[in-house]
Amino acid sequence: MSDAVVVIDYGMGNLFSVESALRYLGAEVTLSADPEVVESARQVILPGVGSFRLAMERLTARHLDEAIQRFVTRGDQLLGICLGMQLLGTASSEDGETAGLGIIPNRVDRFDDLLGVKVPHVGFNSITPSTASGLFANLPLSPDFYFVHSYRLAVNGMTSPHATCEYGETFLAAFDVGNVRGTQFHPEKSQSNGLQVLQNFLAA
Amino acid sequence: MTSVKKRLIFTLLFNEDRFMLSRNFRLQQVGDIGWLEKNYNFRETALSIDELVILNVERNRESSERFRFHTQRLNDDCFVPIAAGGGVRSVDDARALLRSGADKVVINSILDSDPMSVEELASEFGSQCLVASVDAKRVDGVIRPFVENGSRLVDATLGEYLTRIANLPIGELYLNSMDRDGTGQGYDLELLDCLPDGLQVPVILAGGAGKPEHFSAALSDPRVDAVATAHLFNFVGNALELSRQRLLNDGMNLAKWNSQHLKRLASIL
Repeated sequence: MSDAVVVIDYGMGNLFSVESALRYLGAEVTLSADPEVVESARQVILPGVGSFRLAMERLTARHLDEAIQRFVTRGDQLLGICLGMQLLGTASSEDGETAGLGIIPNRVDRFDDLLGVKVPHVGFNSITPSTASGLFANLPLSPDFYFVHSYRLAVNGMTSPHATCEYGETFLAAFDVGNVRGTQFHPEKSQSNGLQVLQNFLAA
Repeated sequence: MTSVKKRLIFTLLFNEDRFMLSRNFRLQQVGDIGWLEKNYNFRETALSIDELVILNVERNRESSERFRFHTQRLNDDCFVPIAAGGGVRSVDDARALLRSGADKVVINSILDSDPMSVEELASEFGSQCLVASVDAKRVDGVIRPFVENGSRLVDATLGEYLTRIANLPIGELYLNSMDRDGTGQGYDLELLDCLPDGLQVPVILAGGAGKPEHFSAALSDPRVDAVATAHLFNFVGNALELSRQRLLNDGMNLAKWNSQHLKRLASIL
């Protein structure tokens, strides 16, 4: 067992910012694409920017999907960021229907063009957490976070701790379900609010 | 709320390992990264901005490796999105920047000379990743676009050029006034009159900011989504922080965070 936070490096988006934010908070960080390293960690971050289908293909090809499932079943702490959060859902309609890791029962679809909002949703926006503890501890009211995405997870009547965001509709901005957490926003690019969320994850 | 917050952006100009001041596109060397971090206290400035833009204004192609090193290094100093560019011509150029810590890529000359490459960049990285930078100044009383670091006049009016660019797969428009660049006289709001009707991408206005009122005047215009300043000295010390606070006090729709809280979070584990 290692005390380092493992950030899964599977070629989906730049990891510098996640790494430097974690180091700023004093965490030890290991970047790895090795399923054994992922499985033996206590805290894992699944980042990601890009296509859902390509990301799932890469995770599967490296047996990282199985490693993540075993890691979660064992009860250790996982945080998915942006695409990494979406991958924890059941499926996405991006690039044709693709199954996700299915760790939470929500699916991923594109913002509807009929909503009259610009897609992608890019920039700082406010979220509404359902609780002020866990992943959402020590945040101001309606905290602002940086988003960049065209697809989003449905809220799906989630009753576990979560946060929503308004952009033409209400979508799932973050969740905190047992040992699995996800943020659609980029905590590593959201100044103090984002670092607080990362700190809450590290303290879990 | 169906829109995102407006933004305050800081732009750094990089040339031969130094960060530069620009006035009407004439460059003056200021300091290196050590200066920026220690004497200029860039970390403090980074706490008051929504986004950082870093532009390599050096024409020498061999500078790109050093530029990427600096982009990577600046990533440790700020927890906001970074857009980087200067001389980006190809998917490989863009990928190299994105792998060095940039979240978005700023493109300029290829918007005019090579629209096919813009299409390729968008299909590889998504249009949200592309910031279209347009430099403009008045020639015989008419606002005209320039490319190649402001050295080559495009054969079109600014309005015609922006209409052409709006049809390319871009994520944002960075509109920079060469007439106001570095003057501190305020933004050139007349550039906005050249924007095509129904433009679908956010507009960043740059060139001329000298005091907080300039940010306020530009951000109050519904056509402006973000304002940028590249002037290293017009907002030194805590001037950007005060500007931001003032904009928020005036009810401007900017993101809120707590810089003191961010400092307290440093290595408390």
